[in-house]
Amino acid sequence: MADSGKLLTQLADRISYLIDIKGDAKWANLDELLDRVHGLRQSLFDITEARLFEELDRIEERVSFLEDRVAEKLSPAEVVNIVRSIQRFTLQDVLENVYDSYTELGGEGECNIDPAMVVARAIISRRVKNKLYRHQVMVIGHEKGRGEEFRNGGCARPWGNDKALRYMRVAETEGIPIHFFIFTPGSFPIEDYPGAAQQIARNLYVMSKLKVPMVSFISEGGSGGAEAIGLSDIRLMGAMGYYSVISPEGAAAIEGRIREGEKLPKELIRHCAAQLKMTAKDNLELGTIDRIIEEPPLGARREDYGFFRRLRYEMIRATDEVVLKTKSFRAFRAYALKQRAEEGKDIPEDFDVAIAWDLSDLEIERLLELRSKKYRGLGKRGYIQLKKGLRLGLGRARDMATKGYYELRYGLLRPHQRNVQKVIEEVSGEGTVFLKKVTEPVRAAYDFVFPKLERPRKVSAPESMERRSIFAEDWEQYVSPLANEDRTVTCPNASKYGCLDLWVPDLYGELCGVCPSCGHHFPLEYQWYLENLFDQGSVREFNTHIVSGNPLNFQGLDARLKRDIKRTGRKSAIITFDAEVKGIKLVVAMLYSDFRSGTVGSAEGEKFVRACDRARTTRRPFLAYIHTTGGIRIQEGTLGVVQMPKCTVAVREYIDSGGLYMVVYDNNSYAGPVASFLGCSPYQVGIRSSRIGFAGPRVIRETTGQDVPPDYHSARNALKRGHIQGIWDRREFRKNLYDALVTMGGPNLYYK
Amino acid sequence: MSEDCVLIANRGEIAIRIMNACNELGLGYVVVYTREDEASFHVELAREQRGAGAVYRISSYKDPNEIFSVADRANATAIHPGYGFFSENFRFARRAALRSRPLTFIGPRWEVIRDLGSKINTKRVAKSLGIPVIPGSDSPIYNEMDAEALAEELFFMQKEQGIKHPSILVKASAGGGGMGIEEVNHLDTFKRVYRRIQNYAKRQFGDEGDLIEQCLTDYQHLEVQLLCSRHGEVVHFGTRNCTIQSTGRQKRVEAAPGFDPQLYDYPFDASKVLERMVKYSVRLAKHVGYDNVGTWEWVVTRDGSPYLLEVNTRIQVENEISAAISRIKGHQGPVNLIKEQIRSALGEKLGFKQKDVSFEGTSIELRIVAEDVKRGFSPWCGTISRFDFPEEPWARLYTHVPRGRPYSIPTEYDPNLALAIIWGRNTEEAKERAKAFISACNIQGEDSQGRAIVTNLDYLYERLEDVLRF
Repeated sequence: MADSGKLLTQLADRISYLIDIKGDAKWANLDELLDRVHGLRQSLFDITEARLFEELDRIEERVSFLEDRVAEKLSPAEVVNIVRSIQRFTLQDVLENVYDSYTELGGEGECNIDPAMVVARAIISRRVKNKLYRHQVMVIGHEKGRGEEFRNGGCARPWGNDKALRYMRVAETEGIPIHFFIFTPGSFPIEDYPGAAQQIARNLYVMSKLKVPMVSFISEGGSGGAEAIGLSDIRLMGAMGYYSVISPEGAAAIEGRIREGEKLPKELIRHCAAQLKMTAKDNLELGTIDRIIEEPPLGARREDYGFFRRLRYEMIRATDEVVLKTKSFRAFRAYALKQRAEEGKDIPEDFDVAIAWDLSDLEIERLLELRSKKYRGLGKRGYIQLKKGLRLGLGRARDMATKGYYELRYGLLRPHQRNVQKVIEEVSGEGTVFLKKVTEPVRAAYDFVFPKLERPRKVSAPESMERRSIFAEDWEQYVSPLANEDRTVTCPNASKYGCLDLWVPDLYGELCGVCPSCGHHFPLEYQWYLENLFDQGSVREFNTHIVSGNPLNFQGLDARLKRDIKRTGRKSAIITFDAEVKGIKLVVAMLYSDFRSGTVGSAEGEKFVRACDRARTTRRPFLAYIHTTGGIRIQEGTLGVVQMPKCTVAVREYIDSGGLYMVVYDNNSYAGPVASFLGCSPYQVGIRSSRIGFAGPRVIRETTGQDVPPDYHSARNALKRGHIQGIWDRREFRKNLYDALVTMGGPNLYYK
Repeated sequence: MSEDCVLIANRGEIAIRIMNACNELGLGYVVVYTREDEASFHVELAREQRGAGAVYRISSYKDPNEIFSVADRANATAIHPGYGFFSENFRFARRAALRSRPLTFIGPRWEVIRDLGSKINTKRVAKSLGIPVIPGSDSPIYNEMDAEALAEELFFMQKEQGIKHPSILVKASAGGGGMGIEEVNHLDTFKRVYRRIQNYAKRQFGDEGDLIEQCLTDYQHLEVQLLCSRHGEVVHFGTRNCTIQSTGRQKRVEAAPGFDPQLYDYPFDASKVLERMVKYSVRLAKHVGYDNVGTWEWVVTRDGSPYLLEVNTRIQVENEISAAISRIKGHQGPVNLIKEQIRSALGEKLGFKQKDVSFEGTSIELRIVAEDVKRGFSPWCGTISRFDFPEEPWARLYTHVPRGRPYSIPTEYDPNLALAIIWGRNTEEAKERAKAFISACNIQGEDSQGRAIVTNLDYLYERLEDVLRF
């Protein structure tokens, strides 16, 4: 009788699981079936054993039949339901079944800085010819729990991500590989220090050059939250997992322009789930993951021990692969590995070889190189390139030539010149007449060979020409089209500070859109900055041939892209250009609102990376001016998400090369870009009245259930929380930028 | 011209003077007032002359939006800003000119107001025309190191000249009227003062550009009165001396002409200095295309060097003393500069040339203010119950204080009570008449605690001795 009770529970679980997947209890009368099971439990002692088992068999048969039917054709929306089901395996199951032993670090259960993020030192072992080899690894991942409130559904808080980062560093110090397990619907969108976005950015920044092998496994990959521990050397994904830029519900709300509080149509959610290309198969095709790990037809549950065995094998194999690729004789080793992988579906019990997972310095270098190459290559097919064939080849040749030139001029000659100068100065400093007689001709000859390099003009002398007075004519050269109206506007702070109404031609004319009494900044179009921030005529755009596309064939995106291209006369949401500020040459990337709300997709990411690399080869400072960004372009799915690690890798390499990377936020800057390649800058500044954050107030309300004050994301609050380093007045943007260029940044800038 | 209707966007005695000028020109006008000014005489007078429809109450004299809506409502075609408030605000002038229902701004073109409104810009243009300016920077300095180098140079220069207590001034480039100016006596303290002024300027004017000048201590403050038209005519009305000022650089006694070499000995050739100042002022006016009334402010040091300080692109309080000593085409009686200003702004030609202007006698202006001179010129407030002054053919008095009923001084604005303009055939006579005038004045009133009114009449009487003396 006890057995039959267990059987009944199992059956009930299987039925509820089907209900979870279908998201509909009425499907194939599942609810009735469940009632029957419950009924049987009620009448367990009233019926004969034979009848009970007969009934059980019948139900079992029916359930099996239905399971097959469901498994036959799983829609993306149903995959999402599988991942979200309470019966799906969690990190706890992985730690218990995949690893031999583990010690949780940074907290246990509820007593934890963030129970949604679990860190453990674990041992994973393999058998080679009956000998057991143990490997130490750092396991970092989300714990969704089984409905416990404190787990927060696997939504890591900013300090949870910070904890993850701390232990990544520990692993780096100790030289052990890291296994990441991503089970998160997304990061918890709160701004409290260290800040949702900023912490993810910091994690990405560190991971891009972390000196240990990293392997990640994705079960539920919710956008930024997933990236926080997702920049790894190999990314594995469960066959029934999902990895997406946004939840289907979130996408549906945006796509359908559903107002807050209104019910989302189920059909729309299903449609969006399919459009977002979030399944493992889709992601493999897009190249955003490396391998799929087979799961049982309806997804792995906590008792699927076979799956855990496979996971253990795959984690070891992936780590092996990362390590072997760094070895000098890697071709042979990689070949051997590949052979074994193709052997068949069954996992072998034994490994052929034992591979140590520690790396030499040279191998670490190789590891980082490969990682950089991997992420730089992501999303290459997500954009359209106008140039083709010969011209492209020529472009590449030119790039090489440019690189060579700058390498020669600033990399080789400059230090040499510095040394010679130093020697001459030292010798001259000795001060004897005799020596002077000797050095003078040398100096003259030297000056002849190396003509004086253009230094940035001093602030003082030509300043009068530069900015004669606030009354001089220079502001009249570009007047915002907003100014062409005879009307007044009311400052939003009027009731607080008693600001007078502002006459529009004044406001958008020489007041630069700033309320003279309270300093509120009214938004200005991005062209204003192009005209007023940089030296006249110094803006030279490049990479205009990279065009935003529709890689997922997202319904309706083509028309919208067409419309924006027509309206703005531009082909992506980012403008990358060379410019000068008071004679200092710099490279600028500018995200602007008029094109798809400044969202970042493959084209934008690629242009950003190229701009970053251009700044690196030319040794110029690099400015990211964010007029507005709405985040990652959701219609590009994970191709959009991978722009986060991709651009961060480029930024990290630029900063490491000794440049100056400045980020200036204006208007609205939210989500993915802030949580990656922008938020990782050591110099981030907000223009007054701008808003900076991870998720908007609506998303915060919907995910946390809490309302935030209207100034929650204001630059002032961002400064208080330490997300940015300063607030600039728009009218002083140019001056402050110049000061920053002169005083900040690494030693490798061309003018240093 | 009678079609025009002038909105008078000011208060107090200047509003009354503008009203009189409009009446003389046969122009309609409307006035505005605030709640605090309800009892002001200019409101009463306007009601009397133009009826209740010509009087509009507004919440502030400083809100352009309100003033423009009153102008539209009243069908005004021109705006007279008086002095203070919007008189030197180029944005206001520009808005008047560029709005869809344009209004004539009675003052110079807005471009001129803008260009001469910046001390630094004025200084630079003047320098390029060979006009002497006070030693120091001639472009705004944004850089601390440059500023310090310049300060050092200025100290050195003064020591070379044998000045015992050298000092320099740090000024906010966009400032004016004594705001954002600080003196530095030691180079060591310069940096801190410089930073303070820079921050102040940034907060107050939105431009942190600073100006560094030698601080002159022994000098006379002179002015040149100009009248120009939209047709390129430039005529001057001589000079004034405004050296007698209260703390905070508020003028109290002014006299025209600027020096009187017949009465006093100056350590330099006074007539020649005045001539040079006038010549330079006209040169600058012609260069910028000046087209209305304006005042060129100068300082003259003991060695007889004039330095241009700044240009006031408006009618000034003390314009009438220049008018009082001026005669056009030999006509008896003074000129009305406000009338000429309005005519010029409405596009008329002046109708006379420099050679038609002659000068006669000396005129002195007394600013009668309810203030306690002994306590740092602190303003007095209370109610005036009696305000008597002598009626003389050689004296005129402008006041917004009504006679025949008690008037409480609004605390929102400065406690100016009246302007007395005295004229005499020569300086001695003017001074005697001024003394007689002051003695015959009778102002009574008390504050909320029943204490008697405090005025500066005694102070004015005493200071008359110093008028035109170096």
